[in-house]
Amino acid sequence: MAGARRLTAPPDAGHDTGDTLLVVRAAEGDEDAFAALVQGHAPVLIRLATRLLGTVAEAEDAVQDAFLSAWRRLPEFHGQASFATWMYRIVTNRCLNVLRARRPVVPLEAAGEMPAAEHATSPARITEARDAVRELREALDLLSAEQRACWVLRELDGRSYEFIADAVGISQEAVRARVFRARRCLTQALGAWR
Amino acid sequence: MTTHTDPPEGTRADGDDERLPCGRPLSQVWDDWERQVSDPHSATCPHCRHAVRDLEQLETAVAGLREETPETSAYDAEPLTRRVMDLVRLELRPGRPLPLGEPAEDLWIMETVAARALRSAAESVEGVSAGSCRIVDADGPAAGVEVRLDIHAPAHVGLQELAERVRRRVREAADRELGMVIASVDIRVTDLVDSGAENREGDTA
Repeated sequence: MAGARRLTAPPDAGHDTGDTLLVVRAAEGDEDAFAALVQGHAPVLIRLATRLLGTVAEAEDAVQDAFLSAWRRLPEFHGQASFATWMYRIVTNRCLNVLRARRPVVPLEAAGEMPAAEHATSPARITEARDAVRELREALDLLSAEQRACWVLRELDGRSYEFIADAVGISQEAVRARVFRARRCLTQALGAWR
Repeated sequence: MTTHTDPPEGTRADGDDERLPCGRPLSQVWDDWERQVSDPHSATCPHCRHAVRDLEQLETAVAGLREETPETSAYDAEPLTRRVMDLVRLELRPGRPLPLGEPAEDLWIMETVAARALRSAAESVEGVSAGSCRIVDADGPAAGVEVRLDIHAPAHVGLQELAERVRRRVREAADRELGMVIASVDIRVTDLVDSGAENREGDTA
């Protein structure tokens, strides 16, 4: 197949014009074109989902589901957004559903009750820093699904409030409120063992 | 502080906020920090500075957490792609069957399958990338099918001549590989690609 070689496009290079053709072809049922899109976009989406969910295994499941859903919906995708943005949104929403199903929401007050006394005596600064990261990772479980998603997109993925509002499907004000609440919960959680 | 009567951008009135002993809402202090603005009060107020210090400590841990996620370049997407495509191939997408051969033959091919062969034929012309490829029944019982093909063509090439070559390849493939009777091949150039030294396929026959 003469076109096959060109289809395995470089992942992070020219998403714009290369993607345009691939997306059109995939929408018309060209599986090779879709495979090239999956291959190219998976790494960024896996990183996003790993940050949202916490483990690579869960991230892979979520991204796999997201791609399957994208394949089904591609005929209705008319390129209003870029394929990358569209996928980012699908993965974010998929992860939100996973987070919502995962936990009964822990009230914010619980943040102050983080068990952590053992770390308080830790002498070395490096250990302290590493502990802080681990504490933070654990404290993320205290956040509601929505707070966590907004906070992760903002703080770990470095997205603008505007972008997050679009990806999550809520207003910018609502995003700001959630990031604020997440920060307050997390600073309290980290402060608890200092 | 009583000077801040107007809530600044980003302050919410949802009752979730917290007022520092100096009177400033915590949300405002953190907003200012994030937008890197400061005023005489925030620079000297111990309460505001304490609140900022808390957030900065969080940010330090955040930076550590951010570094824990491996680089995207380190991720091998091959296995995931294979799993996704295995599932995709199980999906039954409704497609349109197209007639093959003589009208009486009652032989059909799915449009997606035929389109794959025709796109591939078009791309055997150097510098051409194929996009949308629709194949529709032409009018009349023995008229065959009409192909509507979008291509990205190389810049600085005679388009008439290029289109003619693409048409010829498409007709040949339809005839030899599919046994499909083609009434017409409409070609639409949707982009001109200035391909530097990249696409070198040596196929200019």
